[in-house]
Amino acid sequence: MISCTEFIPAYSELFKFLDKKGDKEAVMRFWENLSDSFLGNLRDLAERKGLAGCFEYWSHSLTEEAADFRMSLDEDKGVFEIEMRYCPSMGRLLKEKHIEPYEFYCEHCDTLYRRVLEPLGFKYEIDLSNCKDARCKVIVKNN
Amino acid sequence: MSDKIKVIDCKQSDNEYLHKDFHGALCYAIKYLDDNFGEKATEEYLVQVGKTYFKPLSEKLKKDGLKALEDHWQYIFQKENGKFRLHYEGDKLVLEVDQCPAIAHLKEKNMLYTERYCQTTVVVNKTICQQAGYQCSCEYQLGKGKCVQKFWREQK
Repeated sequence: MISCTEFIPAYSELFKFLDKKGDKEAVMRFWENLSDSFLGNLRDLAERKGLAGCFEYWSHSLTEEAADFRMSLDEDKGVFEIEMRYCPSMGRLLKEKHIEPYEFYCEHCDTLYRRVLEPLGFKYEIDLSNCKDARCKVIVKNN
Repeated sequence: MSDKIKVIDCKQSDNEYLHKDFHGALCYAIKYLDDNFGEKATEEYLVQVGKTYFKPLSEKLKKDGLKALEDHWQYIFQKENGKFRLHYEGDKLVLEVDQCPAIAHLKEKNMLYTERYCQTTVVVNKTICQQAGYQCSCEYQLGKGKCVQKFWREQK
């Protein structure tokens, strides 16, 4: 069994494998498929509860992933934000000195979640400018 | 603070790292590779994982013998609350899994399950062992989350 605690390096290797098979395009196709097929829980929560559903979804996953983060929801302003101070995924890849993270690893968070949230009418922004240091920022707004 | 404002502020040390939904993402990846690139490609991918990420485990196995694998399985199956037994049959290390935590989670959460999922164990174990001069076997019961894995040093 590949433990769930070993998944992130296996995931990064998958992106590299797909990239070798069909360039970044093949990786993007996988992310799109994963978003459509695997993120039903986020889709359902965001559809039923709006930004509060986003808060509920990420409060569960980010605590289980032991992330270092600040997450806020202001329902009056219609804004949900995640300030990722140390991403558990990229952090894990940076810690493993014997493997090289997939060059565009962090972009999966852009494709996966944008593809769920924008069709539901939310505005999704992600700042990946510091992602190689395991830091990023996500803002989801009501349109 | 208004009840319309919610904040969570967590440090890494506040929580234990154990996100079992990742088993679902890996299972989905296996199905995706099988469907879009064929089973041979899935095997190539798993060999790559075995040779790259698990390289330190192969090196430890080569250096320290089966104790390296024993410690590895003990750690991950305990962390994931699997039901398992580890023992030796002569020179062979035997891992008997009565409830695979990955398959149990997939079933409990009603996540996608492919019968090819256990190939992750078969191929990755084989790769880790081959790199270290060891052999292994894995007999699993499809969809039951039960298997018997054996590991031994290659005869020269």
